[in-house]
Amino acid sequence: MTADSGASIRQLRRPVPLIDGVEKVTGRARYTADLDHADALVGRILRSPASHGDIVVLDVSKARALDGVVAVITGDDCAYTYGVLPIAMNEYPLARGRVRYRGEPVAAVAAIDAETAERALGLIELKIAELPAYYTSEDARAPDAILLHDNKPGNVERDVHHQFGEVELGFAAADLVREESFCCAEINHAQIEPHASLAEFDPLTGRLTVQTVSQVGYYLHLMLARCLGMETAQIRVIKPFIGGGFGARVEALNFEIVTALLARAAAGKVFMELSREETFITHRARPHTDIRLKLGMSRTGRMTACELQVVQRGGAYAGYGVITILYAGSLLHGIYDIPAVKYEGYRVYTNLPPCGAMRGHGSVDTRHAFECLVDRMARELGLDPFAVRRANLLHAPTRTANDLMINSYGLAECLDRVERASRWKERIGRMAPGKGLGMACSHYVSGAAKPIHFTGEPHAVVNLKLDFDGGITALTGAADIGQGSSTMVAIAVAETLDISLDRLRVIAADTAITPKDNGAYSSRITFMVGNAAIDAARRLKALLIATAARKLEARPEDVECINEVFRVGNQSTLPFAEVVAAALVDEGAITVKGAFTCPPEAQGGKHRGGAVGSTMGFSYAAQVVEVSVDEVTAQVTVDKVWVALDCGRAINPLAVEGQMQGSVWMGMGQALCEETRYLDGLPAHASMLEYRMPTTMDSPPIETHIVESHDPYGPLGAKEASEGALAGFPPALVNAIANAIGIDLNELPATPDRIMDALIERRRQARLARTLKAAS
Amino acid sequence: MSAPLPQFRLAAPRTVTEAVAAYRDHPGSRFIAGGTDLLVNMRRGIGNPTYLVDLSGIDELAEIRITDDGVTIGAGVTIAALAQNDVIVARYRALAQAAAAIAGPGHRTMGTVGGNLCLDTRCIYYNQSEWWRSANAYCLKNRGDSCHVAPQGQRCHAAFCGDVAPALLALGAEIDISGTRGTRRIFLSQLYVEDGKAHLALADGELVTAVHLPPDPPASAYAKIRTRAAIDFPLAGVAVALETSGADIVSLRLALTGTNSRPFLLAGTEAFAGRCIDDKLLNEVDRLVQKQVQPMRTTITSANYRRVAAAALARRLITTLGTAGAA
Amino acid sequence: MHAPGPEAKKRLLRLRVNGRWREDAVSETALLVDYLREVAHLTGTKTGCDGGECGACTVLVDGEAVPSCITLAVRCEGRSVETIEALATQGRLGRLQRAFHEKLGAQCGFCTPGMIMAAEALLRHNPQPTDDEIRAALSGNLCRCTGYVKIIESVKAATETVHDR
Repeated sequence: MTADSGASIRQLRRPVPLIDGVEKVTGRARYTADLDHADALVGRILRSPASHGDIVVLDVSKARALDGVVAVITGDDCAYTYGVLPIAMNEYPLARGRVRYRGEPVAAVAAIDAETAERALGLIELKIAELPAYYTSEDARAPDAILLHDNKPGNVERDVHHQFGEVELGFAAADLVREESFCCAEINHAQIEPHASLAEFDPLTGRLTVQTVSQVGYYLHLMLARCLGMETAQIRVIKPFIGGGFGARVEALNFEIVTALLARAAAGKVFMELSREETFITHRARPHTDIRLKLGMSRTGRMTACELQVVQRGGAYAGYGVITILYAGSLLHGIYDIPAVKYEGYRVYTNLPPCGAMRGHGSVDTRHAFECLVDRMARELGLDPFAVRRANLLHAPTRTANDLMINSYGLAECLDRVERASRWKERIGRMAPGKGLGMACSHYVSGAAKPIHFTGEPHAVVNLKLDFDGGITALTGAADIGQGSSTMVAIAVAETLDISLDRLRVIAADTAITPKDNGAYSSRITFMVGNAAIDAARRLKALLIATAARKLEARPEDVECINEVFRVGNQSTLPFAEVVAAALVDEGAITVKGAFTCPPEAQGGKHRGGAVGSTMGFSYAAQVVEVSVDEVTAQVTVDKVWVALDCGRAINPLAVEGQMQGSVWMGMGQALCEETRYLDGLPAHASMLEYRMPTTMDSPPIETHIVESHDPYGPLGAKEASEGALAGFPPALVNAIANAIGIDLNELPATPDRIMDALIERRRQARLARTLKAAS
Repeated sequence: MSAPLPQFRLAAPRTVTEAVAAYRDHPGSRFIAGGTDLLVNMRRGIGNPTYLVDLSGIDELAEIRITDDGVTIGAGVTIAALAQNDVIVARYRALAQAAAAIAGPGHRTMGTVGGNLCLDTRCIYYNQSEWWRSANAYCLKNRGDSCHVAPQGQRCHAAFCGDVAPALLALGAEIDISGTRGTRRIFLSQLYVEDGKAHLALADGELVTAVHLPPDPPASAYAKIRTRAAIDFPLAGVAVALETSGADIVSLRLALTGTNSRPFLLAGTEAFAGRCIDDKLLNEVDRLVQKQVQPMRTTITSANYRRVAAAALARRLITTLGTAGAA
Repeated sequence: MHAPGPEAKKRLLRLRVNGRWREDAVSETALLVDYLREVAHLTGTKTGCDGGECGACTVLVDGEAVPSCITLAVRCEGRSVETIEALATQGRLGRLQRAFHEKLGAQCGFCTPGMIMAAEALLRHNPQPTDDEIRAALSGNLCRCTGYVKIIESVKAATETVHDR
């Protein structure tokens, strides 16, 4: 492990535009669909019209015979399963024997143009003998339900039972115990770029090159080798510019493997661009979640015990499900001091598109329930919401009840900052009718400390190449998907060497060129890749210092490099270029490697599933949301958000602000208006019209406050900044609605129809109470 | 590349007469104005016209004329032009508000008054891809045998979601229609039929060419309920035109959209003449609205909410206009 | 899955794209976005939805911002179409491009060309818009990364720079 380098802060605290920003604002940036595919065949997928059933006829002969069709493939063409978790790969790229959700890929066509490909799909004969289908967790878990997967009784993919501390004693010691049920709708990443993939198979060399929207080229690389039965060395995965991910593209996705299968079958190049509807159906997002939460509290607001039950409607295949249901329990920890916690989680198979990882993976719905219930209990006890949170703060360094490591903890300052900025004390309880304030806290991991594929390799490797031109090329497998990770790598290297950012180029995410990386997920890049980049830069710096020392006839420990000048005290100086030239004599271009590995003590408890939630450092956030609720139409307007985030240290404050605003806003979408709904398994939301992500007109000013707790192991002290603030928005909104109109909502999203139902119910209850009173 | 559109030919007439003739001469024709609704549906494989008659090049349709007899708005006037017209903004407030509340700025630039009046009806079972609809055995409105919203019923319940129509209905608009058998003028209310599959009382080959509004309109306002404050179609939209004399109502006209297969004038408001705006009256309006709207499960948002919200909007608009009028 | 209809005619389309007149044989059924991307090779204009819902394909036609994914290419006959590629001239970023770059109005960048073109149309009509006017002008353009905060700041910043465009 490395401690804070104490590097100079010349570049730090200065907002740095993205190093690939010019390409983006000029339209020069090439996303997958922008790559030259003029000579490529067009790929299209035939999707199951049925929710659940056995394929009895799948005849592609007419499609194959159509003029202009080059390849048609079905489940017969790939007998290998794929999946993101080595322990739960139960999905075929094209269904074999059985289909389990409407929209599941069944066959695929490569043809000379889109019209021909579409016509070919229409010529495929598909007959399915339908089986009962289950669209809710409850139906799928019914005793007489048939199984989606024979090895999973009760249609439960994974049940989790964890207990830490004496829960019953904790409840007995509480002054107030409350239990509530919450329900959070399924949502989707809805990144603006639809899925696309361009695959080229060269039959002469047997090599496959895939350019695609993946957040983790490495995972896709592994799955392509597995599903195509190829040597990994014959495959290359390249990430072009990517139009957002948010978790949608962490797993290898069916269409990516299908495109590669088509390319091999056609012995050529195939371009596949999914429609927005297909992009929604590919899914892998946050599941519909039912939560029962019981909490014990002393009259001073100390939490004494917590019991949580979570049921996730996971969809038809495993995907990330095991991790999601583990996160939902394990990330109850790590933010407050809760002496006793019992968790029961069920991940359920249903006949719907598979869920997966989405920003705030696993933590968001649990956090929502928790922060809502804490607020309500505070109200009942006559305590201020801020005071209750402050009564339960952790003190770093510490380990949680479930053995998660915490080395830095800026939540107290986050609370102070948003309390002051929102003028909470002056305003709470004095808001105009229909106006309300609400608050909540949240946190997230800076990368999973234990990787999914345990290989014994470091968690991150970065290569730096320094050559005759005095430029440094950083090679990283980490996928920049818009979050600015390549810019972060450049800053970390420039900072460590104390050289101009202009000397840096970053090449990212090409499995033929860049060292393997576990990819863009669980907010791991800044912490892990940042540390690896600094490690590499230090090694390079040592080489250059040694060279400079030789030239200056000084001891290396007396030489420093400040602003591209090597110097000994105030006397002898050497410019950077001269040192580089000297270092290259006899050696030629210099390549150094840096790495980062999470030590075993960071990798979580020894209990089953204990690795999930483990991390090198948690980010912490607090936010206040101000709302106006129109009681006539039941519409909610978010007027303003104040958010503070402890990101350890802001390597690029501009990007940190952008990530904070984006994550809070994404939480707002989930809280206010986004949900995926199915009509007998058909998506009712599969367009940008029906999937209602907020527009500019719905989006409030979001005031950001960066809190820096200087994590001792973070790169330059940094932790993650992209996910931690998301989970606080939904509960802060629901708490604000309660503050505004006295309605406690237990369902997300807080759409006008749900609020109207609650208002009508309240009026009905009031009438009933009056009637009863009159009668007595 | 986008999924291919069905193959069609495009005609670009310069006059209404030419447009009507082009339509008549080509079976399988459709008129296209802004195309913001038609092309989206065509991209989904809904309705495969083999011949599109483009109305956008017809200058005579693109004018707003203001005379002593009132205002004449060509069917080809864009929604954006309507929303920004000084006279409309100043005097026909409900119409300007309705226009400004349509979709997003790009749609308003392209979309036209005629197109919005003749907007196809919408339903969660209908505005879907070919794959989706085919997996669901289609629906009564398009290629199928039954309505998934009301399987027992005999008709299609797709909802009309145009915003301009209720404002024009409340303001007492008439429209001009041209077709192979000449032109005719009708009240706008006569254009619409309560049938989601055939909601326009236009003969084959007829098109709406203009809208006439009477001079000296009463005070008016339009408001709509939607999940987001832009882009979305109305879950319920209400237009009110209110003429008062002192505290008394001279006339109250109220029209709704988004709840039924047609936009319609609320029946029974004549009885409010001579009354003042008080809670009793507002409760009566509320009951009338809730009784006459027929929202069905055509949207993700519940039908009951749309019913209640429509009535709530009606109350609010009458109250606001009443207060403004009294001030 | 469309049944084949009568063979659509290709037509010689003459229009000005980013200031230069072009003539191309274009199918009557071609959408403007596909013409720009596939024929004119201007891939800065993006497709984000299945038709008219996200604004990523926004371009200017005769100075007005419109979604090119629901515009038939042949309807632009004789007209002037401008895309994101037109805004950087003589080695200089346009004022909006510079502001979006410096203020982080672009994260993943996919909505950015459409967003900038919608903002460009606004600033040509209204050089000093208020925040509310900016929000209204961009209300048909969806962004999933920024929460729009830095987009609005970027447009605001662009109005404060003195530039020729």
